[in-house]
Amino acid sequence: MNGALRIFRKEMLSTLRERRVLFTTLILPIILMPLLMYGPLLFFGNAARQTVEATQKVGVQNLPEAALEALRAAKLEPVPTATPLQDVQEETFQAAVSYQGTTFTVYGRLAGATQSSLVVDKIQEALRNYKDQLVARALQERGLSTQILEPVSIRTQDASRAQERAAGIFAFLIPYFLVIFILNGGQAVAIDATAGEKEKGTLEALLSAPVPVLQIVLGKALAVLMVALAAALAGVTGIVLGGTVMRSLIPKEMLGNSSLGGGLSLEPAGYLALLLTAVLFAALMVSVQLSLGVYARTFKEAQSYMAPLLFLFIIPLLLLQFSDFLTRQSWYYLVPAFNVMLLLDGLVKGSAENWQITLTWLSTLVYAALALGVAVRNFRREEVVFRN
Amino acid sequence: MRENILMVKTEGLTKNYKSFRAVDHLSFEVRPGEVYGLLGPNGAGKTTTLRMLATLLEPTQGTATVAGFDIRRQPLEVRRNLGIVNGGMQVYERLTGREVLEFFAGFYGIGGKVFEERLDWVVDLLRMEDAIEKPVKEMSTGMRQKTVIARAILHQPPVLLLDEATAGLDVFARRALLDFVKQYGLLGKTLIYSTHVMSEAEEVCDRVGFIYGGKMVYEGTNAEARMIGEGSLERAFIRSLQGVAA
Repeated sequence: MNGALRIFRKEMLSTLRERRVLFTTLILPIILMPLLMYGPLLFFGNAARQTVEATQKVGVQNLPEAALEALRAAKLEPVPTATPLQDVQEETFQAAVSYQGTTFTVYGRLAGATQSSLVVDKIQEALRNYKDQLVARALQERGLSTQILEPVSIRTQDASRAQERAAGIFAFLIPYFLVIFILNGGQAVAIDATAGEKEKGTLEALLSAPVPVLQIVLGKALAVLMVALAAALAGVTGIVLGGTVMRSLIPKEMLGNSSLGGGLSLEPAGYLALLLTAVLFAALMVSVQLSLGVYARTFKEAQSYMAPLLFLFIIPLLLLQFSDFLTRQSWYYLVPAFNVMLLLDGLVKGSAENWQITLTWLSTLVYAALALGVAVRNFRREEVVFRN
Repeated sequence: MRENILMVKTEGLTKNYKSFRAVDHLSFEVRPGEVYGLLGPNGAGKTTTLRMLATLLEPTQGTATVAGFDIRRQPLEVRRNLGIVNGGMQVYERLTGREVLEFFAGFYGIGGKVFEERLDWVVDLLRMEDAIEKPVKEMSTGMRQKTVIARAILHQPPVLLLDEATAGLDVFARRALLDFVKQYGLLGKTLIYSTHVMSEAEEVCDRVGFIYGGKMVYEGTNAEARMIGEGSLERAFIRSLQGVAA
């Protein structure tokens, strides 16, 4: 196995000297992930806070004086208008409100995350207060308590597991980004070690050395595996750091019950299981990438072979958001990659069962060994190696 | 290394690429210490032949031995006893010359003090003093080619295969390479020098084999061949083809 270790060391040295790969694989995720995930949230949070704190002009039509007072109390400046709908459409006002009969109609541009929708919320809140005052007054005039409106109260208690509660948005993000980063992180190195070697003319020299092909593939696979796992770790670190920083930046009242960024709260065995699952999945993906990479004639061709892998995984990954609606069938845990996603989801939430872990690990190990066998076979096939 | 054996011997070596026969029952022998020119135009089957000898390609029929080891049955032994360089071959550009050589030397069990001695030897032989510590990507084309050659000879293989090794080299690098071939031959090593540039073969080869359409059309000493071509290997090659056609 000396040959494999020698090749592993060479690949790592080569990778560590490629600043572009290092930056995009290891550094960028740590910087970019917080910005990508929490930046928009922070921006929207600030915009929302400013909208709440500032006073906006709103178009009003036929509003009673008491309702106008309620709007003013909610930091809104009523401006009379005869065409509230048109004014909002033309963005003369962010929002407007008209009154006819007993109905208030609130106008706003509600498609997407608009500032108009925040002003609409403000108007609705003000009008609800106004309505509550009217109801309270009417009840008082009849000698009734406002409690008559709430004969019973409804309380909801979160019964999710401690890990699930702690994980918050992590329950979805961890499996999602682990898979994405493992795929993306190893890709550049896998291509460089296969199609890259062919394109640059270094593969023939390596294959002419007295080292068995199995050792060549193992050495390369080990290097790609290391980089893929390092990339995954960098990505997860980015998410955790981002979550921590954002939690300190966004006021608690704005966060409400949302566990922004989440936090993993697993037993040591849980972390170990998470790591082992990631390693097995990475081993499978690395072997697939090496098989495809050596088949390609050039770096670009290899990229085009590997790009569909990502698309292949995006759909099941997105479905993970709704994993709670899935009835866990045992065969799900035999489906390559999907089993890993389900298990990661279960591990993060603390709901993974032993049979799910066993099936996923064993099947992934078998798939990884088969994929490695294909990679070795491809390296031995002269019509593949000398395809260019 | 075993004494009194043919360093390279091919017997009916044949290679098909699907329906195309690239090498057709090729048989030739190369003796210890000989520089053998495998000459022919592009597409004649030279590269395929050398790749079969280096165990990179599997023959469709026939076999060969290198340093007494069978290319089909003892590929790792064959690789331990030869070095191969071709025109398109490169080495890892992110490593320095020394790192490249250290990497490959390890596959031959060469390390530590022995490696340092071999490194001094190869640096001196190829005149690479100024470049050996540089990353390959910063080297000139000629120096890169020298690094490729250094990689192939660091383990001092009894057989060295050079395939269009001067392709793309400037006049100085080409001259240095031809001088190296002569020097390496003088060390008692066996070389197969494959090229389509007949003038190079005239200068460095002891014996030559003309290959065309995958077949050996002429084999003889450099002097004999030049006699046929009235002093020119190129003319000798063309005449030997005419002989085949007749």
